Amino acid sequence: MNKLKKIAPSSVFSYVFLTILAVFCVFPLLWLLVSAFKSSNEMLANPTAFLPKDWTWENFKTVLFTLKFTVNIKNSVIVALWTTVIATFVSCLAAYGIIRFFPKLGNIMTRILITTYMFPSIMLVIPYAVVMKTLGLTNTRVGLVLVYMSFSVPYAVWMLVGFFKTVPIGIEEAARIDGANRLMVFTKIVLPLVRPGIVSTAIYVFINAWNEFLYALLLVSSSDKTTLSVAVKTLEGADILNWGSMMAASAIVVLPSIFFFCLIQNKLAGGLADGAVK
Amino acid sequence: MKQDRLSGQGLRSRRIDITRWIFVAPAMAVVVCLLIYPLCSTVLYSFTNKTMIKDSFKVVGLKNYLDILADESFYKAFWNTLKWTVGSVLGQVIIGFTGAICLNQVKNSMARSTFRILCIIPWAFPAIATAMVWKWILNGIYGFLPTMLVDLGITEQMLQFFSDKNLVMPTLMGINIWFGAPLIMVNVYAALQTIPQDQYEAAQIDGASKFQSFRHITIPHIRTVVGLLIVLRTVWVFNNFDIIYMITGGGPAGASTTMPIFIYDTGWTGRLVGKASAASILLLIFLVILTVLYFKVINRWEKEDR
Amino acid sequence: MKAKKLLAILLALVMLLTLAACGGTEDTADTQAAAGSGDSADTAQELSGEITFWHCFTQGARMEAIEDAAASFMEAHPGVTINIETMSWGDFNTKWNAGLTTGDLPDISVAQNTGEVAEMINAGVLADISGVIDAIGRDRFSENALGDMTTDGVTYGIPYYSHAQVMWYREDLLDAAGLDVPTTWDEFYEAAVALTKDGVYGAGFSCSPNDLLCTRYLNYYVRSAGGSLLNDDLTANLTSDIALEGIEFWVNVYKNCSPAETINYTVNDHATLFYQGTTAFDFNSGFMISGVESNRADLVDYISCAPLPLYKEGDPYYSAEATHIPLVMWENSENKALCQAFIEYLYEDDNYLYFLSAVPVGMLPSITGISDQEAYLSNETVQKFSEEAAIIEQAVEEGRAIGFEHGPSVQAGLLSSQGVVEEMFQDILINGTDIPTAAQAAEDQLNEIFETMVG
Repeated sequence: MNKLKKIAPSSVFSYVFLTILAVFCVFPLLWLLVSAFKSSNEMLANPTAFLPKDWTWENFKTVLFTLKFTVNIKNSVIVALWTTVIATFVSCLAAYGIIRFFPKLGNIMTRILITTYMFPSIMLVIPYAVVMKTLGLTNTRVGLVLVYMSFSVPYAVWMLVGFFKTVPIGIEEAARIDGANRLMVFTKIVLPLVRPGIVSTAIYVFINAWNEFLYALLLVSSSDKTTLSVAVKTLEGADILNWGSMMAASAIVVLPSIFFFCLIQNKLAGGLADGAVK
Repeated sequence: MKQDRLSGQGLRSRRIDITRWIFVAPAMAVVVCLLIYPLCSTVLYSFTNKTMIKDSFKVVGLKNYLDILADESFYKAFWNTLKWTVGSVLGQVIIGFTGAICLNQVKNSMARSTFRILCIIPWAFPAIATAMVWKWILNGIYGFLPTMLVDLGITEQMLQFFSDKNLVMPTLMGINIWFGAPLIMVNVYAALQTIPQDQYEAAQIDGASKFQSFRHITIPHIRTVVGLLIVLRTVWVFNNFDIIYMITGGGPAGASTTMPIFIYDTGWTGRLVGKASAASILLLIFLVILTVLYFKVINRWEKEDR
Repeated sequence: MKAKKLLAILLALVMLLTLAACGGTEDTADTQAAAGSGDSADTAQELSGEITFWHCFTQGARMEAIEDAAASFMEAHPGVTINIETMSWGDFNTKWNAGLTTGDLPDISVAQNTGEVAEMINAGVLADISGVIDAIGRDRFSENALGDMTTDGVTYGIPYYSHAQVMWYREDLLDAAGLDVPTTWDEFYEAAVALTKDGVYGAGFSCSPNDLLCTRYLNYYVRSAGGSLLNDDLTANLTSDIALEGIEFWVNVYKNCSPAETINYTVNDHATLFYQGTTAFDFNSGFMISGVESNRADLVDYISCAPLPLYKEGDPYYSAEATHIPLVMWENSENKALCQAFIEYLYEDDNYLYFLSAVPVGMLPSITGISDQEAYLSNETVQKFSEEAAIIEQAVEEGRAIGFEHGPSVQAGLLSSQGVVEEMFQDILINGTDIPTAAQAAEDQLNEIFETMVG
């Protein structure tokens, strides 16, 4: 009873709001997963039913083994992970550099950065394809990672500039006086402070790279290098549809990202709140 | 704090002259390399009659621009883009921001991580999966939601989410809010986490109310991040192509054709690269103006912060 | 703390694995490429080198057939590498269009139809493929089909399989309503209206501008009365009496027997309606059988097809649209001899039969001497749907691609690829624009496109 009294109205509201939000967010995933376990027949014959009558693994088997989606999964993981690692690294350096060393030029630099972000990818894709051809990187995952920098780095730098600004310079000064060099200050003091920001930025980069479609479609054509979202689209563009496989394929595109979230989620919580400053 | 930073900078500016470039060079290189060629070629093509299927092209001056500005469907697409962007970004920010604040209120760490994972799920959906799931759920013939609404007696007929020209844009915005709100939530939540707890404690000792600490500690602390997020989301949503393309393709009768779809239809389906380039440049100019305005506001916030 | 360490180890592991995978595959690709180019320099006689084949046979069995053929060909010719690259039909057009600018083009590819071949010829990217046709036997191909891909006496495409548009219907639904199979458009309309009840719709009329269904349907109607959507001078004609009548006919079909949502449906959304039993009639090729089979196997026994409805009773037979899916060879290919050898290999009886059996009746042979073979006839679906196959075969025999009644032209391709007719229908149905105004506007727009693209 005592406990109940202590619950503030704001916290009740929080729970209610988050619950509704969670239902809204989760429902499509549930629907997708449940559908993927239905046979095509059941899905089309009885489209309004939610739960399957007979659960079947068939769709997943077809997608993974007959359609060889395992290859596409591997490609997507490679491309998305490398994009994330490189973009986050480059952007951390740049964001910190802009904040600390370019108090005046920094604004211009960041503004140039944002300009790349403003180009619609539909127009960028042809010039990029030409560039990749010239560099001999057409049809390679390296080329794709490179092109993904174009939308990852501007975003990441922007977000990180915001986060690095919250680091009080006093802490750095103190560390410098203690004899730490610039790199040590950066890696040992500054980075841990903005960890939540870095992680959320990295997630964003990862997801965007994982989900990207247009560049992946046009810059890579060989089947053994195609990424997952292009492979799913291939199923949709077939002249005989198999809805069961398509549902399973979509579930397969979505699940790894969610798994990734679960893995990384306690990283998100850290930061100053954990007492890293003290 | 500003004083501090400037003096610190002054003392060392010479010594770090080279190191400082090492920090920013990679990012600058990426951007410059990936920007210059596309920008130049798009500007160049926008003054020509280049098509996708022919190598040769002529310079036609401002013709493409004049054609576009005289094209009714351009204005319609532009107006649709504005609706799409404002509606989606506003919805994403309101829901994402509220979600983050609520999440910060939740003290039970198990509950907090559960909510965090559940609410971030939409973000894991690539456009193709988003399109497929929502097309099934909202299908006007056998979709789960319209059927449910009819069964519950809320609507008399199956709602035509994708084929009613007045309903299609709100539907797409709803889907985009579903997709994008988690991003805002995660980032705002991360920003909330970087606020030093001792500031709140100090405020509490000083007798500040919860609302006052929210107003004077929370808001100033996170508004730069939120502002930047809004800029980035605006640009992203404005340029977004695949969600609409894969769900409605811009239809029915152009009711959901936004600028990127317009450019795609012109440049890819119609193969008129010159005209599509001109439309892209117009789009870019508009975005530049818009972001400059945004930055004015953000800069003011930053100054206030100091 | 433990969780953190675990996470770190996991991530590191994944990175390592991907690094290994990345390095590994690229190495082999390099060595293959090196081996390939080295060989081609050494021996001119023996087949060697590397070619890329773009295809859109995304469905499992067809993809396997192509991949198996490539694998066995490479086994027979050790110096040869054939890269098989799969993409969806919709993306194929985007890819080769982009390839014109970037140079990323295949050596051999499919084309969606003969209309697309006309566009490719117009872009000047295809190579003469007559050699292959002669090697297989020119007289084994349909003259119509070859003619559709011939310009100035040079043939640029070789039909790989064929199909044609017929009317599909649900026997059980017609029987239950006591209706006969319609033979004219009026009968079709009446039957479709009568069957629109209890959650079933007579027929879907789908108008997404990203697909060609409206053009296709309007073309049926116009062709049934002996008209055409193109004039003799290859300008568009949507304002002839018969075209206007046809537009009105389909507008009524949409209003009275189609689900409202089809206003923005693509080919796939549209086909799903018939697969799942929502519509009683549909117009499609023999692909319908496999579609229904893989989605609603319980309905396969109730579907059948008939020739397209006639304009008026007693009119002669017509076929509005036949499609030959061609293979084409690209001008930029550096190894045309190898391309030719591989295409010929695909047409070898065993390989060809294996390929066709992936979608029986859906993919009909484009060459003679196949459909009477034991291996072809023994297929279960071919036996079960032999009557339907005969109807489709006749439609293939007598039909051409949309707009090809004036001979092959880029205009015919553009007529269906630009979504103009679809936009016109959406304009009429959604904005209430009156038919003659909308038709005139669409006709003008098409003519402008023709001028820009061809002129």
